[in-house]
Amino acid sequence: MLTLYNVGVTAPPAFVPISDRLPPGELLAIVGPNGAGKSTLLTLLSGYRRPDRGSVCLDGMPLHGWNARQLARRRALVAQKLTLGFDWPVRDLVALGSTASPDDVEAVLSMLDLQPLAARGVQHLSGGESQRVMVARALCQLGLGRSMSMPSGGVLLLDEPTSALDIGQQQRLMRLLRGLAEMHGMTVCCVLHDLNLAARYAHRVWLLERGERIAAGTPEAVLTPGCLARVFGAELDASASRTDQAPLVLLAP
Amino acid sequence: MIRSPASPLRWRSRNEGGLARPPATVLAALTLITLLALLIAAMSGSIGLSPKVLLGDWPSPLAWQVWWQLRLPRLVLAALVGAMLAGSGAAMQGLFRNPLADPTLLGLASGAGLAVALWVVLLEGAAGTLGLYGQFLAGFLGALGVCVLVFALGERQRDQEALFTLLLAGLAINTLAGALGGVLAFIASDEQLRQLSLWGMGSLSHALWSAALGALIGIPPALWWLLRSAPGLDLLQLGELTAHGAGLDAPRLKRRVVLATALGVGLCVALAGIIGFLGLLVPHCLRLWLGPGHRLLLPASMLSGALLLIVADTLARTLASPAEIPVGLITSLLGGPYFLWLLLKRRMPC
Repeated sequence: MLTLYNVGVTAPPAFVPISDRLPPGELLAIVGPNGAGKSTLLTLLSGYRRPDRGSVCLDGMPLHGWNARQLARRRALVAQKLTLGFDWPVRDLVALGSTASPDDVEAVLSMLDLQPLAARGVQHLSGGESQRVMVARALCQLGLGRSMSMPSGGVLLLDEPTSALDIGQQQRLMRLLRGLAEMHGMTVCCVLHDLNLAARYAHRVWLLERGERIAAGTPEAVLTPGCLARVFGAELDASASRTDQAPLVLLAP
Repeated sequence: MIRSPASPLRWRSRNEGGLARPPATVLAALTLITLLALLIAAMSGSIGLSPKVLLGDWPSPLAWQVWWQLRLPRLVLAALVGAMLAGSGAAMQGLFRNPLADPTLLGLASGAGLAVALWVVLLEGAAGTLGLYGQFLAGFLGALGVCVLVFALGERQRDQEALFTLLLAGLAINTLAGALGGVLAFIASDEQLRQLSLWGMGSLSHALWSAALGALIGIPPALWWLLRSAPGLDLLQLGELTAHGAGLDAPRLKRRVVLATALGVGLCVALAGIIGFLGLLVPHCLRLWLGPGHRLLLPASMLSGALLLIVADTLARTLASPAEIPVGLITSLLGGPYFLWLLLKRRMPC
C-alpha cells in the first residue's frame, strides 16, 4: 500500500501537504487544470522527487529507503511523453528495465495488441502507439507477464496515458487499468485530463488546483458541475444526462 | 485491441521473440578480426616481417629492436586509443541521448588538447620531472572541465534544442581552444612549437613503451567503467523520470560515464593528439547493424575502434613510407565526409 504522510513541497512549484492512502485494488484518477501540480504529485508518489515535508511510504517504508531495484519491481511509472534519441525496436524497449523472459514480453505485448508492431522502431510509431508501448514496458517491469493469474500488488503510476489515444483505445486501456486494479490487486494512479474517463473508470478522484488537493472522493462526489465549473473556469452543460451513477461532463455550447 | 487481463493470451514461442541477439558471435567475430589486423599490422612497416619471426626467427637484432621498441608499443597504443575514443563516443551518445555526441565535436578533445598545450608551453619546465604524467593529468583535467561544462549545458535543455546547444557549445569550445592554442603557439619556443604541431595533428609516431604503459594503466579501467554503465545507459534512453522508476540511479551513472570519458579521452589526447571522428563514425555504423542497445554496442564499438585505428595507423606509416601521414588526418578524412553525409540526410540514423 502506498501511504502519504503529510507530503508537501515548499519550493516552487509548491504543493500543499496531503495525507492519504492508496490501497491495493484501487484506481485513483488525479485531475485538475493545467499547472495544478498533477505531474509534481506523480513525481512525489514515484519517489523521483523527495518531498520537502512528510514522506511517501510503500508497505510502511519510505520510498527513499527502498533499494532502487527492489522498488522498481513494485512500482513503475509511465511518463507523459516518450522521447528517444535512438530507434529502439518495440520488443526490446518493452523489455527494458525488467527481467522478463521473451515469453513474458510477448504476453504483455499481446495484452496491449502490440504484437504486430513488435519489430518496428519506436520512432516510427504514432503518439498513441508509443503510449501503449510505454504502458507495456511498465507492466513488464512489474512482472505482469509471468503473474497473470496471481495478484502482483504493484503500484502503477501513469501521467496522461490516454492523451494521444483514440476513444476505442482509451476505453480498452482504462478497462485494462481497472482490471489490473480489481483482479490483480494493483494500485493504479493515473493523471487524466479527460474527466469522463475519470468519472467512468476511477474508484476515487483527487481534484487539484494550484498545488493543492481541493477535493477527494468518489467521482460522483468530486466531479460535480459546480465544482468543475469553478476550478476549470469552464461552462458546463448541466442538463447532460446520466445513464448510471457516473457523472457526465459536457461543455456548454 | 487492448486485451483485458482476463482475456486469453496469445503466447509466442521463444524462437519467435526478438530479444535474443547473438552478441557473443558478434563480439567473437570482431575480436578475431581485430587480432588478425593486429598481426598483419605487426608484420607491416618499413622493415617488413614474416609471421615466422614471431616464433623467434628474427632476421637481425635490429629487426627485433624495431619491432619491440617501436612497433609493438605503437600497436598497443593504437588499439587502446581506438577502443577508448569509439567507446567514449558510444557512451556519450547514450548519455546525451543524441547521435551527434562525440568527444571531438563536443570539444572534449580540444579542451584536453588545450590543457596539454598549456602544460607543454607554460608548466612543463616548472614542474620538472612529471613529464608525460603531467601531460596525462593536464589532458584528464581539460577533458573533465569541458565534459562538465557541456553536460551542464545539455541538461538545461531538452531534445531537439539540446542537440543544437551541444553542437554550438562544441563549436564554441573548439574555436576558443583553437584561439588559445594560437596564443600558446605564439609564445612557445621553436622546440615546443614543433612538438605541439606534430602532436596536434594526431599521431602515434612517438609511441614508446612509456606512453603505451601509461595507456595500459589508465585506459582499461575507463573502458571497464563504460562497459559497466551499459545497462544504465539503456535505461536512461527512456528519459530520466521513467529510468528512475525502473531503478536507475541516473546521477551516479552520469558521474561514472563523465569521469570515465574524461579520464580516457584526456589520456588519449595527451598520448596521441586529437584523433577526430572515431567516436562518431564507429558507433553510428554499428548502431545501424546491431541496434541501439549498449550492452552490445559498447563492447562492439571498442573492438571496432581498436580495429579501425590499427588499420588507419598501419596505412599512415606504410602509404608514404618512409615518411608518415598523421593518423588523425586519415580518421578525419574518413569521418568528415561521413558527418556531412549525416547532416545532408537530415534524419539521423537510429
